[in-house]
Amino acid sequence: MNPFTPRVAAVIRREFVLRVKSKWFLLSTLGLPVLIVGLGGLAGFLAVRSATDAGEARRVIGVADPAGLIGDLLVEEFLADSLDAVRAADMEELSIDEARTRLSDSSYDLLLMIPRSAGRRSAEMPGETAGANEGEGDDGRTTLLARASVPSVIEGSVRGALQRASVRARLRSIGVQSIDPGALLQRTSFEVINVTESGEARSQDIYRALSFGIAFFFYFVLLIYGQMIVRAILEEKQSDIVEIMVSSLRPWELMLGKIVGVGAVGIAQMAVWALIFALAAVYGLTAGASTLAEAGIDLASIAVPWGALVLMFFFLIFGYLLYAGMFAGAGATISNEHDAQQVMLPITMLIILPFIATQGVIQSPNAGWGVILSLVPFFSPLVMPARLFATSVPVWQWLASLVLLGVFVLGAAWVAGRIFRVGILMKGQRANLPQVLRWIRHG
Amino acid sequence: MEGWIRLSEGNPQYIDGAAAWRRVRAVRMIGAVNTPAIRLRGVTKRFDKKMAVRDLDLEIPRGSIYGLIGPNGAGKTTTLRIILDIIGPDAGSVDVFGSPNVEAMRQRIGYLPEERGLYQKMTATDHLAFFGQLKGLKRKEALARARTGLDAVGLGDRADDKVETFSKGMAQKAQFLGVILHQPDLLVLDEPFSGLDPLNVELFKQLLQERQRAGATILLSTHLIEDAERLCERVCMIAGATKVLDGRVRDIKAAAGRRDIALSFEGNPTFLDAPDLIEDISAHGTYVEVRMLEGADPQALLRRAVDSGALISRFELIEPSLRQIFIEKATEAGLSHEDESEDDEAAA
Repeated sequence: MNPFTPRVAAVIRREFVLRVKSKWFLLSTLGLPVLIVGLGGLAGFLAVRSATDAGEARRVIGVADPAGLIGDLLVEEFLADSLDAVRAADMEELSIDEARTRLSDSSYDLLLMIPRSAGRRSAEMPGETAGANEGEGDDGRTTLLARASVPSVIEGSVRGALQRASVRARLRSIGVQSIDPGALLQRTSFEVINVTESGEARSQDIYRALSFGIAFFFYFVLLIYGQMIVRAILEEKQSDIVEIMVSSLRPWELMLGKIVGVGAVGIAQMAVWALIFALAAVYGLTAGASTLAEAGIDLASIAVPWGALVLMFFFLIFGYLLYAGMFAGAGATISNEHDAQQVMLPITMLIILPFIATQGVIQSPNAGWGVILSLVPFFSPLVMPARLFATSVPVWQWLASLVLLGVFVLGAAWVAGRIFRVGILMKGQRANLPQVLRWIRHG
Repeated sequence: MEGWIRLSEGNPQYIDGAAAWRRVRAVRMIGAVNTPAIRLRGVTKRFDKKMAVRDLDLEIPRGSIYGLIGPNGAGKTTTLRIILDIIGPDAGSVDVFGSPNVEAMRQRIGYLPEERGLYQKMTATDHLAFFGQLKGLKRKEALARARTGLDAVGLGDRADDKVETFSKGMAQKAQFLGVILHQPDLLVLDEPFSGLDPLNVELFKQLLQERQRAGATILLSTHLIEDAERLCERVCMIAGATKVLDGRVRDIKAAAGRRDIALSFEGNPTFLDAPDLIEDISAHGTYVEVRMLEGADPQALLRRAVDSGALISRFELIEPSLRQIFIEKATEAGLSHEDESEDDEAAA
C-alpha cells in the first residue's frame, strides 16, 4: 500500500510551502553560509592585521647574556630575521625582578635574558630546558620580558632565533663552523595515508576533519529539525485544528505528512547549502590552488569518497526518521511550549551522547567499542558516517548498521503512531509516562 | 463525465462527474438508497471510569436535518466522534451510508467540531484549498471552489489575506466554508451555532438548508434545545450517556400530549380550584398557565370556567416545548438533565 495518499501529499505540501516561504527559512539558509564565510573572513582579517601590526611597529629586542654564551649569535639571527636587536650590556648584571622594573625606562621593547647559570650544565644551551616567557628567577631558565603583549609572530621569531643560535653555539663548541643551522633545523612533515583493502589511499587528517564536520552537521540537523517537528505538532493542538484534521485523515497519515514535510524542508535547505559551498569550493580552489600547493596539499591526491557520501545520505535520512518519529510521539503528549522543553530533553540527550562518542570514534575508528557503537541504532546515524570517512568500514558492518537502524525506524514509527493516535486529541495537562505506556499497549 | 448541472433552484453548480459516478456505483453496490445515512447499534464507549455513551441505537435517515440534543457532558461529542471514526467504540457498530467502513466514506463527510481552529499563518484561499484537498479535491479545483465560496460569503476581497488578520466572525465563515467546500453528502456539526454572531447564525442556517436541498444529510449536536426545535425534523435526546428518546419532532410533541393551557379571563378564579383536573398553575394576574393532570380533559376545565361566569378571552392548548419534554423524560428516567461540569473530552 502506498502510504503517500493525496491527502498525505497535501499535508506534506502545506508543511513544506509554509516553512520554505517563512522568514526563518530565508534567514537560516542564507545565514549559515554568511556566518561561516564571515567568521572565516574575520579570522583571516585579524591574522593579517596582527602580522602587519607586528611589522609596522618595529620593536627593539635587547639581549642580556652576561656569560656571553650565545648573545652575539642571537643578535645575528634576529638581524637576519629583519628584527632590531642589540646586546643589552646595561641590563646584564640585573636580576629578573630588577630588569622588570627598569624595562619601561630602557630603550628596549623586549628583553631576552639568558641566565648566567645556563651554560653550567653540560650539553645544554640556553632556552633548551624551557621556552621563552616561562618562569622567573635564575634557575637556568631563559626569560623574555616584554613591555606590551608579545604578538605570536614575534614569539615565534624569538623561539626560532634562540634555537638556531643554540645550535650554532653547540656546533662551534665542537669545532664545526660552516654549516647553516637553517639546513639542520629544516622542518619535516609527513602525511598519514590509510591504504584500504581495495588499495584506495586516504589522507587521514583531511578525512578526520571531514568526519568531524559530518558528525557535527548531523547533530545540528537532527536537533534543529527534531524540534521543528515538535513545533509543527504543537501548532495543530494550539490552533484547535487537530480534530478537523483527524476527521479527514488517519492520525498516522498526519504524522507522516508532518515528518516528511519538515524533512523536505531540511533537504531543500541542505541542497541550497550544498550549492553555495560547491560554488565557493570551485571558486576557492581555482583561486587558491597555488596557495594550497605551497602548503603541500595536492588536490589531485584527495579522492572524493562518493560511496561514503551516498551511504552518509542514507544514514542521515534514517537517522532523521528515527528521531523525528520520537519527537512526533513526544509532541503528541503535550499542549504547550513549556512542556515541549521537558519532553524533548531525553531525546536531545540521545543525540548528544552519540555526538560525544563520535569524537572518540574519529580518533580510533576501528576500536572495538567504536565498531559496536556504529552498529547500535541511535548511535549509528552519527557514529557510522564518521567512521565511513575516517576509515574503511567493511560492507557487512555498514549494511548491518543500516538494517538495524531501519528496523528501529519502523519500531519508533509504530510506537509514535500509537502515542500520536490518542495523544493528538488530548488537551491541557501533559500526559504522564504510565498513560503513554497504556496508549502504546492499547492504542 | 463532468459539466455544469442546473439544480432545481439557485445557481448552477459545478458537479464533479467522476465523483458523482463513484457515488452512484457505491449506492448500487449497497443496493438501496433507503439505507439510513447513519446507523448506530448498541454503541458503548467508556473513558476510564466515566461512561460516555451507553448502548446507543440511532438511525438517521438520508436527507434529514437531525439534532442530537442534551446538556454538556451528555455524550454528544463522543457520539459524533464515534460516527466519524475518530475514536472507536468499546462495543457496538457504526454504519455510514450502509457501510461499516467509515474510513472509505470520509470524503463524503464534512465535520465541524466544537473546537474549530484555522492555521493562522495561511491565507484563507490556501487554507480552504488545503481542506478541500484533504477531502479528495484536486488542488486546482479546490482553489477555484475556495475563491467562489469566499466570494459567496462576502470575503472575496480578503481571500488572499492571512487568517490571523481575520475577525472572529470572518474566521467563523471560513471555518464553515471549509466543511462544505467538497459538497459533502453528510454534514456533522458539533454545537454549530455556539459562539456565532447572530448574522452568521442566519448565514449558517441558510447554507445548511441549501446543502439539505442538494440532498445532504445533516447531523448537528446542540445543548440549545430551542435551536434544534426550530431547525431539525428529527432529534435524539441524550442525558447521562443514555438515549432518552428520539424521533420526529412532530411525533415527539404529539406523543407528549397537550397538557398545558394558556388562559386569559376576567372574573372569579375559583374555577381554577380543581385538583381533579389541574396539576399545576402559574398565575400572572389575569393570564394563567395551567398544567392539566395526565388524562384530564381540557374541555371539562373550559366548561367549568364558562359555568363560573368568568369572561374567557383566551383558552389555548399549548404545544409543550422540546425542552419541557426533555426535562420530563430525563427526570422520569432518573437521568441527569443538568449541565455537568465535566466535559466529554477524549481521555483514554
